[in-house]
Amino acid sequence: MIGGSRVRLLRREDAPAPLTERTAVHTARRVALRDEEKTAIEAGRGRIAAVGLAFALGFVMLGLRAADLALLDKPAQAVAAVAEAESAKRGGRADIVDRNGEILATTLDTHSLYADPRKVWDAGETAKALVTVLPELNEARTAERLRERRAFVWIARNLTPTQRQAVFSLGLPGVGFIREPKRVYPRTRLASHVLGFTDIDGEGSSGLELGLESDLREYGERGRPMPVSIDMRVQFALADELRAAQAEFSALAAAGVVMDVKTGEVLAMASLPDFDPNRPTDSDPDARRNRAASSLYEMGSTFKAFTVAMALEDGVADLESGYDASKPIKVGNHVIHDYHAENRWLTVSEIFTHSSNIGSSKMALEVGADRQRAFLEGLGLLTRPAGELPEIADPLVPQHWGEATTATVSFGHGVAVTPLATASAFASIANGGKYVQPTFKVHPPGRELPEGKRIMSATTSQNVLDLMRQVVTEGTGRKAEAPGYQVAGKTGTAEKPKNGGYSRKDLISSFAAIFPHDEPRYVVLVLLDEPRGTPETFGYATAGWTAAPTAGKVVSRIAPMLGVDRANPDSEPQLIAANTGG
Amino acid sequence: MSSVFMGSSRPRGVLAFLHNFDWTLVALLMLLGGIGVGMLYSVAEGDWSPWAVRHAIRFSLGVGLMMIAALIDIRIWMAIAYPAWAGVMVLLLGVEFFGSAAMGAERWLEIGPIRVQPSELMKIALVLALARYYHGLSSDRASGFLGLIPPAILIGAPVLLILRQPDLGTAVLLALTGVVIVFMAGLNWWIIIFGAGAAAVGAPLFYTFGLQDYQRQRIFTFLNPEADPMGEGYQILQSKIALGSGGVWGKGYMEGTQAQLDFLPEKHTDFIFTMLGEEFGLMGCLFVLILYALVSARLIMIATSCRNQFSRLAVAGIAATFVSYVFINIAMVTGLAPVVGVPLPLISYGGTVIITVMAGFGIALSAHLNRGRELDRSRSFV
Repeated sequence: MIGGSRVRLLRREDAPAPLTERTAVHTARRVALRDEEKTAIEAGRGRIAAVGLAFALGFVMLGLRAADLALLDKPAQAVAAVAEAESAKRGGRADIVDRNGEILATTLDTHSLYADPRKVWDAGETAKALVTVLPELNEARTAERLRERRAFVWIARNLTPTQRQAVFSLGLPGVGFIREPKRVYPRTRLASHVLGFTDIDGEGSSGLELGLESDLREYGERGRPMPVSIDMRVQFALADELRAAQAEFSALAAAGVVMDVKTGEVLAMASLPDFDPNRPTDSDPDARRNRAASSLYEMGSTFKAFTVAMALEDGVADLESGYDASKPIKVGNHVIHDYHAENRWLTVSEIFTHSSNIGSSKMALEVGADRQRAFLEGLGLLTRPAGELPEIADPLVPQHWGEATTATVSFGHGVAVTPLATASAFASIANGGKYVQPTFKVHPPGRELPEGKRIMSATTSQNVLDLMRQVVTEGTGRKAEAPGYQVAGKTGTAEKPKNGGYSRKDLISSFAAIFPHDEPRYVVLVLLDEPRGTPETFGYATAGWTAAPTAGKVVSRIAPMLGVDRANPDSEPQLIAANTGG
Repeated sequence: MSSVFMGSSRPRGVLAFLHNFDWTLVALLMLLGGIGVGMLYSVAEGDWSPWAVRHAIRFSLGVGLMMIAALIDIRIWMAIAYPAWAGVMVLLLGVEFFGSAAMGAERWLEIGPIRVQPSELMKIALVLALARYYHGLSSDRASGFLGLIPPAILIGAPVLLILRQPDLGTAVLLALTGVVIVFMAGLNWWIIIFGAGAAAVGAPLFYTFGLQDYQRQRIFTFLNPEADPMGEGYQILQSKIALGSGGVWGKGYMEGTQAQLDFLPEKHTDFIFTMLGEEFGLMGCLFVLILYALVSARLIMIATSCRNQFSRLAVAGIAATFVSYVFINIAMVTGLAPVVGVPLPLISYGGTVIITVMAGFGIALSAHLNRGRELDRSRSFV
């Protein structure tokens, strides 16, 4: 590149040109060229100067822009604009109402007070005046804020119209209001876990507020409230009974679910301890945990309902089949024994009503690991159940599913699931054997029912329901009876895993109820975390003494609300017609 | 003052070099670099790490690079203009095929331990190549239409490759610089008017077919930031608010970090001018703007004082590159232009821009030292 022309490049302009014949011509051309170049250079300089001028103009423009932003009172206005735009968005959020139109969450217009300290005349006087109408303000701290060298400071958020008027009448310069809608939950703690709450920007941050975010905006745009599947009356009854049980049995926590077995709608879901969604940050994070949807429990004997269903459905057993439960069995390294050992041969229905671990294990081992797994998967117990709540948790399923797992899972150990998943599995049994997917959206009456996948035959479903009814009439769940509502159910008492083993004293007591038995419509699941026995229960904390009576009370309270007719408490279902006829 | 050296050969000896050297420009640059270090110290809430120290080191390396570039004879710069352009094009193609991605965009090329951003190198290479091209061209050909074809390739090829990375900011900057050089080389006014008209027609087409979704989104957001103040428009609005909140004199050094600016992403890189506005107010902004204006004025003066076309166009092109950085960045931060990710040269944190502009200044200084020299316009180079 540099090569040949190097010599010419280095030649000075005043160096003598080589003399040749064509020198004259050359010189003439060079002069002409030189002139042309000169004008070109001048033009080029002119162009460069023009570009320089353009640069100068650009710098002046940027300077003016900076001055415009800094001087013309824009910042406070800009902040106000941002806040207003935000609130417009928040205002667009639909109210949440329950299935009967009761308001669960709404948006209220509030006004937030800000100041532009540069325009405040006297920070001390202003603060003093403000404190007279807003006593919750700290005078010294407010004065300090008003002295800050900035264009925008918040003084107080979410004031009522009265407070706003009071500030207005003070006639203070340099303060102003921004409309700032606030999400309000008039029922405070009721259904707090289901509803969740919004963040400071009015966007859902947990519960249905988060899970239904886009639906809430859609409804908001149409100016209509969004109904959810919750029934406030049922919710109140469930929460009330759980609270009473938690107090009576000094339980650490409690959870409950009420579900419609036909539609999958969750009518109520409660978790204790609870919190006030109006002030979510004031609460203990543990209280904000939705135990019904996001906590995993080994459900214990309640799982035997699924084991029996599986064995009957698979045909390895019928109700009269017998299993030897006379002595503990050894599976792998586990020795499985019964708590209320009968030490004899038991029929399938006896295994269920006496809650025999040995019998359940034998049934499950006969069915085999693969089919057990497939069956539980069909009931939705091995995957995250559907439902609009973002908190719903995945179950804890063992990686390796050997014989020992098959045996322990048959009586509810080794797989940890949420109460919600358990409730939907029971709903599937009650729904004639077709899977029911839980939902928090309202199923419009008259609309076709969701067609779930068939998990078991209607006969199996009926047989299990009959067995569950037997548990309540003559088995471990007698205290769950709600006279006239024919509760069918199953108790579950699981020892809590502690320090690498299981604790005999710390229990998870649960009860799954289906009612009414002759025409199953609702599932009620009640779970108590570490209940303690009382003198009335003779010191027992097991499900039959704690969770079962709680579930029974819930059923008695909610059945009338749900329009379930009370049958003659002393009569069997088939006698109802005769009685009413007579 | 340049008349003293008119027609003289290259200055000899250290004294002459020191005398001829453009210390004004160097002093202005040192001041800007120092402001950068100071601002980065403040952004880190009074901490030398992670940014201030590294910025100081990079800037020092940049000054060294500038000195070396200044000492290289302008003829050598001219000689390597085309090979440099071709070489960087090869690197850009390398990015296309072997580049590593940073934040969804492929811009970096890793050669052993060294990470290069070829698009940055192209800013210098393009200026040199265009200056070289017009240096060897008679003025009538420079102003004509046919003479436009080679520069169109010189500009267009790298711009397209960089758009594909995708890096809209650099592509715009490169195209802008290229067009300014073509203009300065003496393009016929009719072609300029025609070109402006074509651009007006072509812009919507480019917007529809030439841009990625996120790039379109940014432009839309720029046009209407209030449409989504908590989402896409957030950065711009926060930036405007913070700038304004400084008032005339600012909140004082190190006082700005407590305010709204904490919500501002990228405040140590592309949005550092906002920090400046918040802490030093309008006066601080104007001071920095004046420094940048002086640097570009100085470059324009050097360009017009040069006696050969290559130096003139190279220096003016370097000025255009530098000024484009400043304009695009500040316009973006103050909400006058969409957010395209262009740093504020010498103040923003980030190594490549320092290398680019300091190398550019080195070439400008070399041109300044050789300003009296005429270079052969023989077309044997072309």
